[in-house]
Amino acid sequence: MAENFEQHSDISAADLARLTQEAQAEATPSTAKIIWSEFKADKPAMAALIIIVSFILFVMIGALFINTPKMMETNIMGYFNQPFTADYWLGADSAGRSVAKQLIVGSRNSIGIAIGLTVISSTFGICWGLISGYFNGYIDWGMQRIYDFMMMLPMTMMIIVLVTIIPHYNSVTLTFIFSIFYWEGTSRLIRSRTLAESEKDYVAASKASGTSHWKIIFREIMPNISSLIIVDCTLSFAENIGVETGLSYLGFGLPSQTPSLGTMIANANDPNNITQYWWTWLPAALEIIVLCLSISYVGQVLRRAADASQRQGSIN
Amino acid sequence: MSLIEIKDLKVHYPIRSGFWNRVTDSVRAVDGVSFDIEAGETYGLVGESGSGKSTTGKSVVGLEKVTSGSIMYKGLDITKAENRRKLDYNHDVQMIFQDSLSSLNPRKRIEDIIAEPLRNFENLSKDDEKLRVLQLLNIVGLDADALYKYPHQFSGGQRQRIGVARAVATNPKLIIADEPVSALDLSVQAQVLNFMKKIQREFGISYLFISHDLGVVRHMCNNIAIMNRGRLVEIGTRDDIYNHPLHIYTKRLLAAIPETNVNSREAHRASRLAVEEVYREQQSKYYDEQGEAYPLVQVTPTHAVALPQNVAQQLARQEGEVQA
Ligand SMILES: Nc1ncnc2c1ncn2[C@@H]1O[C@H](COP(=O)(O)OP(=O)(O)OP(=O)(O)O)[C@@H](O)[C@H]1O
Ligand SMILES: [Mg+2]
Repeated sequence: MAENFEQHSDISAADLARLTQEAQAEATPSTAKIIWSEFKADKPAMAALIIIVSFILFVMIGALFINTPKMMETNIMGYFNQPFTADYWLGADSAGRSVAKQLIVGSRNSIGIAIGLTVISSTFGICWGLISGYFNGYIDWGMQRIYDFMMMLPMTMMIIVLVTIIPHYNSVTLTFIFSIFYWEGTSRLIRSRTLAESEKDYVAASKASGTSHWKIIFREIMPNISSLIIVDCTLSFAENIGVETGLSYLGFGLPSQTPSLGTMIANANDPNNITQYWWTWLPAALEIIVLCLSISYVGQVLRRAADASQRQGSIN
Repeated sequence: MSLIEIKDLKVHYPIRSGFWNRVTDSVRAVDGVSFDIEAGETYGLVGESGSGKSTTGKSVVGLEKVTSGSIMYKGLDITKAENRRKLDYNHDVQMIFQDSLSSLNPRKRIEDIIAEPLRNFENLSKDDEKLRVLQLLNIVGLDADALYKYPHQFSGGQRQRIGVARAVATNPKLIIADEPVSALDLSVQAQVLNFMKKIQREFGISYLFISHDLGVVRHMCNNIAIMNRGRLVEIGTRDDIYNHPLHIYTKRLLAAIPETNVNSREAHRASRLAVEEVYREQQSKYYDEQGEAYPLVQVTPTHAVALPQNVAQQLARQEGEVQA
């Protein structure tokens, strides 16, 4: 059969290298290159990206050098120490604990949980939505009933109950508990797009080419909804920072001896702290605002990169 | 034995409605269609929009869940998925899709698109595979630069060629060509059609050529089936259909072919109006009480029409065809 093609085309094995080279010269750039050029074209987004990456690296590495139990010990001498002093760059709280150190460890915990939560819940939600939307029929029906059941549960209350009945938990268990309740939104969104995408002829063409269902789902359909996935993941990440901080603020997140952005903002519950001891809560609040804004900026650029008609960067 | 035999094929889509979302009715997209395709021929399937042509085509490729009926290939019924697997069915039967843009994955490079059936059905080395893709591009008249580009960077005609290259990649025996040129302008239409014929000669492929345009079909097909609302109303050779049409639906389709000769335009218009007149007056003769087409009856060995036996023979006599 190969001879058949040899006969009817004037291309033979000898031309392979030359033609490949020709084609490479004309090739369209890869997605990574497109995203990078998009960041280069948008200075604020570039700044946002640098802020996020360097900040995350800083707290992740910085936290390694801090002895948390020792840091969390009460130190009467440091009672509400003023900020910008040699021992306490950002002052100290009512127990004389360094705000700066708590901020580093707390950010590490909060961001770590947000990343873990985003990775687990988005991965699960994306797979759930893709499979449910692609197979349609009975599989979809069953999966949607489970989805409905999960949506029916009062989420915040369930988390509070679970946190109360589980005797010992840390940031890892907490991440898993949150993940049980945070995949639904993503899955619904992905399912609706998958339903529309599965109808398109390129999926039929892949089926007719003998490609398996799993390959069609993850290698054909998923890249086509990647812009939706990227935007949803960045937004969930910003939102997930809020999930943990919100619960810790209410006192149901991480245990009290584990600092987090939420427990630090909870200092603002005391009117005295709000007016006189602003350094106990303001840095954490500012950090959350800056992080969430930067993340949404980066998300916008990724969306533009994924959608050819909105691009601002030029490649070459 | 024919290459492929389609018997009493039915594809019904359920309509759900009401409080319980139960199946209350169905769209009978294909409702009892039978025909055979011989090796090496081009079989035309013609009908207006929504008559069920694409659905029939997709059923033959194995993309549609068939309600009932059978499609026999090499002695096996390929409406069953396990038989398709056993035969590596899609190695032999491929499809060119109606909408070339939507049938090419926008996120894949042309190389990966054309190589997809090769990767699944033939174990080629990386270099052999690339060489085959380059040869295919060459055969459909595209340059090697196309290799690493994306579908949106091509024109409609070029995309249709990419679709053709993918369909012939595994050197199949039958290609379902679903309106391969309807979206193209006239000059490009002729190019693509001629080149489909060229491939057919060189590779000995059969086509099931789907179209709503009898003008294009005349150029391509030896045998033609006319489809109307999910049923076949007339089957015959090119001569039977174009020179001795019996069913009013076929006559209407023929009358709708645009006349390019300016001098005979008036005559053409008059004959079209005459056909419309007959259609309005005699609709009840050509369709049963439910407004559905009758079962097919044979009038000559090659020619069958969906009419009651006596009406068919009477019409055939008028047309000057003799019962064999
Ligand atoms: N998935 C589906 N669900 C419900 N009805 C459908 C579905 N696909 C097709 N139909 C119906 O089946 C009928 C036949 O559709 P089909 O696509 O086969 O028509 P066609 O002859 O190819 O028309 P065209 O020339 O416009 O392509 C139409 O009435 C259409 O509404
Ligand atoms: Mg169609």
